Order: sequence, then C-alpha cells, then structure tokens
Amino acid sequence: MDGFMIVNILGGLLILTSLLVILIKNPKNAAYMYGGQALVLVAILATLGFVTGSSELYTWSVTAFFTKVIIVPAIILFALNKMQAKPDDLAPRFALVTTVLLVVGEVILCYLAVSGIELPTVAELKPALAISLAHFFIGLTCIISQRNIVKQIFGYCLMENGSHVSLALLAPEAPKLVEIGIATDALFSVVIMAFLVLRIQRSLKTLDANELTKLKG
Amino acid sequence: MILIILACLQAILLVAAAPLVSGSARWMRAKFQTRKGPPILQDYYDISKLFKRQDLHTKDSSFVHRLMPPLFIGVMMLIFMGIPVVTRFSPIPLLGDVILIIYLMVLPRLFFALSAIDTGSSYAGVGGIRELLIGVLVEPAMLLALFVTILATGTTNVGEMGMMVGSFAAVNPVAVALAGVAFACACYMELGKLPYDLAEAEQELQEGPLSEYSGPSLAYCKIALYMKQIVVVSLLVAIFIPFGSATELTVPAMALGLVLYLAKVVVIFFICTIFENVVARVRFKLFGHQTWTVVGIAALALVFFVLGI
Repeated sequence: MDGFMIVNILGGLLILTSLLVILIKNPKNAAYMYGGQALVLVAILATLGFVTGSSELYTWSVTAFFTKVIIVPAIILFALNKMQAKPDDLAPRFALVTTVLLVVGEVILCYLAVSGIELPTVAELKPALAISLAHFFIGLTCIISQRNIVKQIFGYCLMENGSHVSLALLAPEAPKLVEIGIATDALFSVVIMAFLVLRIQRSLKTLDANELTKLKG
Repeated sequence: MILIILACLQAILLVAAAPLVSGSARWMRAKFQTRKGPPILQDYYDISKLFKRQDLHTKDSSFVHRLMPPLFIGVMMLIFMGIPVVTRFSPIPLLGDVILIIYLMVLPRLFFALSAIDTGSSYAGVGGIRELLIGVLVEPAMLLALFVTILATGTTNVGEMGMMVGSFAAVNPVAVALAGVAFACACYMELGKLPYDLAEAEQELQEGPLSEYSGPSLAYCKIALYMKQIVVVSLLVAIFIPFGSATELTVPAMALGLVLYLAKVVVIFFICTIFENVVARVRFKLFGHQTWTVVGIAALALVFFVLGI
C-alpha cells in the first residue's frame, strides 16, 4: 500500500467523522468528535508531507494540530460551559438517512466533477480531492440540517477543513503565509461565532435557529 | 465427491448443533441476570418433549400450515450446504451464489407468514404480517450491503467473495469493510434477538406465527429458527471474516479451518448475547428507522467503492 492510498483512505475516514459530527445530537460530544476529525486532517497533512517530501506540509500539520484539534473544540466547549441554561439536544431537521444520502450524493457529484479535471500533480489523489471538495457541501448540509446553532458552527468548520485539505493537495509548496492566513481566519471566525452564540443564548434563552426569527440589535 | 460429503456433513451438523447455540444463549442470558437458569442442553430436552406431543392444526388450516415446518428446515439445510464453513470455497458452487441464498431465505419467510394467516387465528395473522414487514425492511438492506461487496470483488459466489476478502485482493478495502459493517447490522436483525424479538417468552415481532403450532411441528419450527441464526452468522463469517479457513482439501488445513470457524461463531454469538442483554425491546414502528440506518451505511460503502478506496 503506497502513501497515496493511505491519503485516500484517510479521506474516507474524514467523511465518516464529518458525518458523525453532523449526526451526534449532543453538541459537547460533537465537539469531541470534531477534534477527532481534525486529528484525521492532521494525519492527512503529515502523510502528504511524507509522500511529496515537502517540509511545509509538516509545519502545516503541526499548526493544524494546535489550532484545530485543541483550540477550536476548546473554544466551543468553553462557550457551552458558559451557558447558564444547559442546551437541550435539539432534534435535527432531517432524518438520519436523509442526511447520509445527501452526503453520499454530494460526494459522488464532486467525484464526477473532479474526474473531468486533468492535473498531473494529483492524478492518484483524485478521490481525496473529491472528498475535500465535497466537504464544502457536507458543511452546508450540516448547517441546513441542524436547528442547534452550536452545531451550525461545526458546519462552517467542516467547510473550512475541506478547503484546508484541497489547498494541501493542490499547492503543497505554498508559502507559510497562506497557511497562517487560513488557520487564523478559521480561528477568529469560530471565536466570533461562539461569542455570538453566547450572546444569543443569554438574551433569547434559546439555541434553536427556528426561533431566531426576530433578532433585535 | 469429498465436497458433496462435506456439504451433507455441514447440513447434518447444522441440525444437530442448532439447539446447542440457542441453549447456550439462554444459559448466558440467565447468568447475565444472575439467575441459575436452564442447563445448556435445555433446548434438546424441550424439542424431544415436543416430539412426543400430539401434532394439532386448526380446523381451517390447509396444507400450507403442515408444509411450512419441514420446508423451513429443508431450505435452511440447502442454504448451509452451499456456504463455505471449514473451506474457503463453496462445497457446492451452484448453491454458493449470494443472490440465490438471499432469495432462498425469503422462501421460508413467505411460507412462515402464509401459514400464520392460514390458521385463521387473528393473533398469529398479525404476527405473520409483521414477519413479512420485517422481511421487506431487512432483506433489501442486506442485499444493498452485499451489492457493494459484489461490485468490489466482481463475483456473486460466496466462496470467491471470501477468497478475495481473505487475501486482501479487493481493490476497495474501506468500501468492503463498511459493507461488512452494514451486513453485520442486517444479520443481527435477521437473528431475531432482543431489540427485535424475545424468543423465550411470547413472540411479538418475529416468530408470531408460531403461536398456532404444537408438538412435532413446533419442534421443527424451533430447530429451523435456531438453524437460521447459524446460517446467517456463517454467511457473515464466510464473506467478511474468512481468515484462516482451508484453501485446500487437506486434513490439517480443514481441521484448522473448523477450529477457527467455531471460534469465530462463538465470539459472534457471545457479542450478540451481550448486546441482547443490554437493550430493551424496540417499538415495532421504530424498526424501519433502524433498517434505514443500515441502508445509509451501505450507501456510504457504495460511495467509497465509487471513490476507489
């Protein structure tokens, strides 16, 4: 089994973990699961670094470990602990199988889209590229299928993970500055969203997106 | 010739060992509940007692009611003759086709439900309809999981599928593993164990049709239901966990295959019994949701097959 195959298999694991992030009802457990997913992402970056021999990818994986495996779940867990009323497990809008089939359809569509592109650098990594592209849609699925606004933050994070992997696949030699841009961008947006969720919860006493129809400034 | 003898031996051993499997499950259940419980051989005693009793059928019942018990046992023996047990390949390749096996499992289920309606008893009739509904929900899920495996291995023969999986020759390891998980879930639903049924007390979800059977007919049905559990588990072992079974017809290889097969089956039944004892019976209406989950896992396996991983 060569390195490219390992990257593809890890990509498959990425889909499974994102599905679990979407499907787990309790936001706290979903945060732990997100940490697990970020760990898979780190493994993908490190394996890619090993396969392509690019030292930048190793540093990427180290920064991703700190920002995504530790800091992002920590921020969300911190926000969840700060809430006075404990969030109840809001039922998602879709049934479990609908979500799974949606994700399945998205991945297949992305695979078809990617198969048309001829890129010499990622010939063996096409499945991984399709998966990273599909993560944009998986994140969207998370946002539209969940009523809990904390879970919707994870939808954004999933999208962001997808863009991270596709950047690593398409431009492994990209300078550190780009990577720093991506990492901090995600970090700050999560901080802002967690802050917003806290304020919403404090003033409206709910995390249900369906009830947030008349937000006042 | 040896293969035909092997196939017949498999079928006879299946009949002989079936009550042992259910008896040990009952014994373990009692231990979990810290009861003394029945001895492991209790189901043999029950069945021998049933054979001494009178065989009663309701006034309105037709030949279907009489035909079902021997047909059920016969079909289960036929299926088991084609499943690789100690060997990696199917003893009778003609019977080793996975689509044939699934359809052969539908045949006794149809007669099972028909015989329930045939008795004229309303309670058994409801049981029969539920049995059919479960069949409609579980079997497509099972076939979907196998469909991905068929695509990944390029064959519908159980033995050849097992050979591909056992030698790690399948090109899509993740897809096959996930299909195995989906198939295992579907198999558990077919076993008729606790979240879906409690076979020791009155039967509610599956096996409702048994309520109008008595004497030797009931004994036949009971043996056949226990046989079905072994057949389903053996199918799972043959396709997805074939490691260690004999690839050639020599005595040491086959002895090793037999030992490993028994070990795998014991472990699987042990896990099933643990699971059976920690869950409550599922509400009948929720059964469909859980089969949909299996369909979801199988669909994911299909995606991984398309992606080529």
